[in-house]
Amino acid sequence: MAQRKTTGTRRVWFPAAVFSLLAVGICTRLVYLQVIQHDHYAELAHDEQAASTTTFARRGSILDRNGNVMATSVDTWDLSVSSRAWKDPVEAAEASERLALLLGDDAASLRDRVANGETVDVVIGRDLPYEVGAQILDEQITGTVLYPNTDRVNPESNLAYSMLGFIGADNTGLAGLEATYDNLLQGKPGKVIFERDTTGDPIPYGQYIASDPVPGTDLVLTLDRRLQQIAEAALKKGMAEHKAKGGSIIIVDPATMEILAMATSPSLQYGVAITDSSQLELLRNRAVTDLYEPGSVMKVVTAASAIDAGVVTPDTYYHDSGETVIYDAKIKNWDNRSYGDQSMTGVLINSINTGAIYMQQKLGQDRFIQYLDAFGFGQPSGIDLSGEATGIMRRPEDDGWTVVDLATQSFGQAISVTPIQMITAIAATINGGELLTPHMVKAYIGADGSRQDVAPSIRSRPISAETSAKIRKMLGQVIYPGHPAEPNLYTAGGKSGTANVPVPTGYNDVQIASFIGFAPLDDPKVLILVKLDENADLKTGAAAAGPIFAELVDQVLTYMNVQPDATYVEAR
Amino acid sequence: MATIQRPFRGTVPLPAPVRAINWWVLGAVTLASVSAMLPVLQNSSTTSRGFEVQELQAQQVRLEGEIAIVESDVARLTSLARIERRAGELGLVPATSPIYISVDAAGPAPAKIPAEYLPLPERAPEPQESGWGSLLRWLPSPRP
Repeated sequence: MAQRKTTGTRRVWFPAAVFSLLAVGICTRLVYLQVIQHDHYAELAHDEQAASTTTFARRGSILDRNGNVMATSVDTWDLSVSSRAWKDPVEAAEASERLALLLGDDAASLRDRVANGETVDVVIGRDLPYEVGAQILDEQITGTVLYPNTDRVNPESNLAYSMLGFIGADNTGLAGLEATYDNLLQGKPGKVIFERDTTGDPIPYGQYIASDPVPGTDLVLTLDRRLQQIAEAALKKGMAEHKAKGGSIIIVDPATMEILAMATSPSLQYGVAITDSSQLELLRNRAVTDLYEPGSVMKVVTAASAIDAGVVTPDTYYHDSGETVIYDAKIKNWDNRSYGDQSMTGVLINSINTGAIYMQQKLGQDRFIQYLDAFGFGQPSGIDLSGEATGIMRRPEDDGWTVVDLATQSFGQAISVTPIQMITAIAATINGGELLTPHMVKAYIGADGSRQDVAPSIRSRPISAETSAKIRKMLGQVIYPGHPAEPNLYTAGGKSGTANVPVPTGYNDVQIASFIGFAPLDDPKVLILVKLDENADLKTGAAAAGPIFAELVDQVLTYMNVQPDATYVEAR
Repeated sequence: MATIQRPFRGTVPLPAPVRAINWWVLGAVTLASVSAMLPVLQNSSTTSRGFEVQELQAQQVRLEGEIAIVESDVARLTSLARIERRAGELGLVPATSPIYISVDAAGPAPAKIPAEYLPLPERAPEPQESGWGSLLRWLPSPRP
């Protein structure tokens, strides 16, 4: 019997066709979404699932040359409260009571702050102590959100604060070494990218890309905290004694130009916020930002230049009549005295202006200017502190320049320097003739513990080692027995300077008294600059700053374990 | 021979049902169950480990913070101002000028350090055997 072939009817084919079309449509859509638009939707999914957090790197510490901590960072917390979580009065009351107990605050005040906050998350406190934040975390108080932060701590408080500087709320250095070395101190923040679940927690074994934060580099300063303390105490005492408005003391190792101490006043106070613009001047580190006319200290540079050029020797004599006339200008000695026949050493001992002019004239205009340039005048010293002033040195090409300017520059007028420039130049006259770059950082210690020492950097060699030895000897004779700057225990050399403050119409009555000297005489370990601004007692540099220098030499070298010269001590 | 075809009138017992366990089926079911359970167990274990890792990371961060605080405390306690204050409380006064003296005589012998703190004595190197000697050692030794 033949089997009858079944044929589809419309009732079968029509739904089949509809479903087939639907299936084709779905497949097409799937291909479109999963193949053609794959990258787009994969990215959207990644954005939805992936979360990232930034982990802050610990800021590097600042240590003194012996490894004592001068500035370091500690972990703190910034606390916010979600106002949404505190909408329920009962919950808010309970949470605020617990929070107030930990913060030592008033619960009602906390509730008010959260209720009246302009944002959803209301900031309650910044830089909370670590332990307090940890307790809040442990207690899981409703609505509290804690963000890790760090706070900068200076264990030595005010000591060297104007040099160390400070950082801002965003942990960026704003002043001093914190600003100069911000890139090194900050380190590199880490980042964690992870897949999260619906509650926002990381999915275990999900995609996890993490770069660890690299802690900042530690800075080892050339500074010695004890010497800094001695310098700051001496400056405070000196200013009070001579009723000075300000001042600076710099102690350096003349062989390397490492800054051992740098005290300035007025200066920033640790922990005291700057509230008005008049306090902004406290941000200046006056030892590197403020210019002054050095006065007779400059005669050391003039003598070194003239001796190095071979136009005079320490024993070259000239006759001092008490004044030198250049064109119509009569230039007199500081005490209006006439010293008669004097050697070049005598010029330094008696601080004779006409003697300095004599040496400058022997050198001639071009050579004198060349030496001033070689000693770094009119240029920044290159110290690693921000805001260094360049200095002013009048040159022949300047408007209104005359040879009188050149003559007065030989004894420290018509030239403005910063204390750091002056001590750098004088260091070159006594250290064998090398002009070195002063620096505050002795070494860097990386996050892996590796140490990189900073070598002294020679800028130029303005004078020979022989000339330098002669200058040391001459300056040793300046501090004759009974001189106000004579230390009790150590031989020393130095030169005082007293200069009026220049104003547009000439000079005013206020003065700057300074003394710069070194010790011991044969092998200088320290070079010290003492500068008193506007001392009301109007004592000269030798009388006002000299005794401070003498006291500092005894204290500093004793601390540095330098044995006193027994013969010298016995003779005294 | 003729036979009489008579209908069978008795009852024929059914074959007894097989009571033996089909191990293949059981094995397959067990395998399927274990296969199904394994990812669940793995997932559960992974999740709990993940939480442990998170807790440990939080603990590490906390300990690092505490270390920084302790370091800061040490720095504060060794600051010059505090040392001076404590020295004052103990009745100490700033040192006056030190007196330097020269001594011609030889200094005292250095104090003896207890043996346990001394480095171990270096062992004398063993005499090196010559190449021929080591070669001969490999040869069978003659019997007495």
